[in-house]
Amino acid sequence: MKTFAITALLYFFSFASSALENKSFGTGANMDKLVAISTLLSSPNNYLDQEVTVAGTIVSVCSKRGCWMKLASDKKFQTLRIKVKDGDMVFPFNARGEKAFATGKLFPIKLSKAKAIEYFAHLAEEAKEEFDPSSITGEMTIYQLVPTGVTIEYQQS
Amino acid sequence: MKRTKRSNGFVRKLRALHRDIGYFCIGMTAVFSISGLAVNHIDDWNPNYQVDLSVKKISINKTQQNSADLDQLILQQLEITKKIKTNFWESESRYKLFLEKDTTVFLNFNQQQATIETVTPRPIIASFNKLHLNEVSQAWVYFSDFFAILLLFLAISALFMVKGKNSVWGIRGGWVVAGIIVPLAFLFI
Repeated sequence: MKTFAITALLYFFSFASSALENKSFGTGANMDKLVAISTLLSSPNNYLDQEVTVAGTIVSVCSKRGCWMKLASDKKFQTLRIKVKDGDMVFPFNARGEKAFATGKLFPIKLSKAKAIEYFAHLAEEAKEEFDPSSITGEMTIYQLVPTGVTIEYQQS
Repeated sequence: MKRTKRSNGFVRKLRALHRDIGYFCIGMTAVFSISGLAVNHIDDWNPNYQVDLSVKKISINKTQQNSADLDQLILQQLEITKKIKTNFWESESRYKLFLEKDTTVFLNFNQQQATIETVTPRPIIASFNKLHLNEVSQAWVYFSDFFAILLLFLAISALFMVKGKNSVWGIRGGWVVAGIIVPLAFLFI
């Protein structure tokens, strides 16, 4: 009886974290407000005060707290960072390669050259990616989407 | 005499309540303490996922990098049989291949190197962490509040569990004072 109870508990806790289905965070994404990431980033000022939904493959996720993820744009080499306050939403580290939709507002962040190097070096370290400081040539404005709702669509595998 | 009897009855009820609530709190305490240890050291390890890395050499030239068969060529050279989910060009020389079973291949064509990363959720501790960090439903937050109240009850009722020379009102009270001083001391370190 004791063995059964312990086994059942362990099985329950093991299974509780392994179910793979579409996942929604916050309010879930609003599919009526879809804007291509490339469109958003080519004229970001047009979208600053409105809620938009972006879609893309998850290509990177914060490995420690799941507080950000990067979505691939429809334009080559381009990504958009989806950032939440720690704990508001926790993006699964193993969701890379899945498609995500994120609804929220775009926020600009102005960085001096030194701050930009610091910022991108930190991001690269978190994502365990390479970073070349010489790729930053001056001050810059980066954009990230702070979502109110996210939906991740898992592929059947 | 009457007052002592009533007082003994109260202590007996309190002890029984302390015992039963203590039993009830075992599971929750285990969840919070184990995951507390796990997430306290988040900078040293990933408490939710086991990440396995292996680095291999590849031999893919510029023409092959631009070919439609690139993904198959990579899998062939790395002797991987998993299905491809999708891919992503990070830059001219860096490429990611996302495979089934939580596997990602990071390719650096300048270095002719592939890093294969497999992520496996830690089955039990990941569930504990999820509960600890309130990543489940709002109802869990209310239940955690209830648990906090129960812990407070256990702490306060513990003051009345033992009578006599070993009670907290004697020399043993030093432990209570120490338990208050230690966390306060960290505010000044």
